[in-house]
Amino acid sequence: MKWTRSALLIARKDLAIELRTKESLNAAAAFAIVVLLLFSFAFDPAAAETREFSGGLLWLALAFAGALVFNRGFSRELPNECLDALLSSPIAPSALVIGKAIGIFVILAVIENLSLFVFGIFYDLRWWLRPVELTAVCVLATWGIAIVGAVFGALTLNLRLRDLMLPVIVYPLLIPLLLAAIEVTNTLLANQPLSADDLLWLRVLVVFDIVFTALAVLLADTILVN
Amino acid sequence: MRERVTIGLAAAAILLLAYSLYQIFLVLPDEAMQGAIYRIIFFHVPAAIAGMIGYFVALVLSILYLSSKQLKFDSLAASVVEVSLVFSIVNLITGSIWARIIWGIWWTWDYRLTSALVCVLIFCGYLMLRQAITEPTQRARLSAALTIFGCVDVVIVYKSIEWFRTQHPGPVLSIRTGGGHIDPAMERILYLNFVAICLLAAALILVRSRQETTAREIDSLRRMANAM
Amino acid sequence: MDARNFEYMFYGFLAAWLVVLLYVLTLVRRSARLNRELNDVKQLISAQESGRQGLQEHVR
Repeated sequence: MKWTRSALLIARKDLAIELRTKESLNAAAAFAIVVLLLFSFAFDPAAAETREFSGGLLWLALAFAGALVFNRGFSRELPNECLDALLSSPIAPSALVIGKAIGIFVILAVIENLSLFVFGIFYDLRWWLRPVELTAVCVLATWGIAIVGAVFGALTLNLRLRDLMLPVIVYPLLIPLLLAAIEVTNTLLANQPLSADDLLWLRVLVVFDIVFTALAVLLADTILVN
Repeated sequence: MRERVTIGLAAAAILLLAYSLYQIFLVLPDEAMQGAIYRIIFFHVPAAIAGMIGYFVALVLSILYLSSKQLKFDSLAASVVEVSLVFSIVNLITGSIWARIIWGIWWTWDYRLTSALVCVLIFCGYLMLRQAITEPTQRARLSAALTIFGCVDVVIVYKSIEWFRTQHPGPVLSIRTGGGHIDPAMERILYLNFVAICLLAAALILVRSRQETTAREIDSLRRMANAM
Repeated sequence: MDARNFEYMFYGFLAAWLVVLLYVLTLVRRSARLNRELNDVKQLISAQESGRQGLQEHVR
């Protein structure tokens, strides 16, 4: 219980800071919308073929915006040696990572909702037709992005070229997750029934989330040292 | 002693490769449907398997590093990853050239190719990461974490796309199919080449890990010089 | 078909061995660089030590 409380405390702290300053929220939201806009120049939104891969465009925009969010996640602890204080505190490193991931998850969820709204306007997509399944996919995929971003955000904290390194490491790791999310979202946005293939992709999302969260919790104590 | 082992491994590899090249070009007949290009398989498949095995060896070494904190495991893991990356790139290039002739396309998104490419991307990131960190303990920790996450990720990619239709040729080695899919003479050369590539890989890994140790030695001597 | 086949097979083998050869060359260059750096650092340390010894004798 103490572990859960610590994780939620970290998450609340991060979200409180974010609510006050809105630094990564504003930047990431603006970035996501600009990317979606650029996509609509590159791929004709009116064409039927574009609608078939619209899920891909959405998740790409979110993945890129996500980089801004998890870059900020741990780096906000650098000034005033906040990270040292956090690591010296009784909070378990695994709780710290999960707490950070929860914070990133919430911020990404806000950006996702905004993106869906804007995306629906640009591409004339009725994304509200399958709310339950779409929410499930979004929750699973966003958690995957958040946990990978949190772990590697923590690890790359002191690097020289942090802002460059983080995307280079994180995006290849996110490939299976993004692939699965894109496939299922394409089906849902086209309002087709979920095929057996899509159910397999959902399974991939679940497996990815479980495995990577477990790895993050198991390895946090070993890899997050001063 | 170490140099002798390295030279011995390299020599054995070269001899085996020379013998297999002779067999491939002068003894084995052309394949019924593919013509001459099929001979690429004798380097494509062993390189692929050697690369994959290498990454999992690096995974084991990374776990050993995290539990024992001895930097020698980290040096060895980095060397293994680098050599595996070389063989993975060989795998992708030879596969692409073969595919151009047989399928008419340079690339396709089936599970083996996709997971091979994801592997190369993740472990290129690994090497870039190592270059960006100068402090040895931090570098070792980060590399170990990335290897563990990377290998798990590759398994997920492999398994997830495998569930779907694939364009890549199915298994031909008789350990997987029980025989009958490939001429035994060809299969023998395949295994021979695999052994040769493993020996070559071992020699390269020994050289590379020696270089890592020397680099650490230089680092500590520099610190000593600065302290004096 | 067969002639083009041979051509591509040749390119395939060439590409494979070129990659390995390039890697071996980078290893060789790295070895040379490391040996150079090692000698430099060792010289630096021995120069510092002899300097210190000279100073000690001077003080005596």
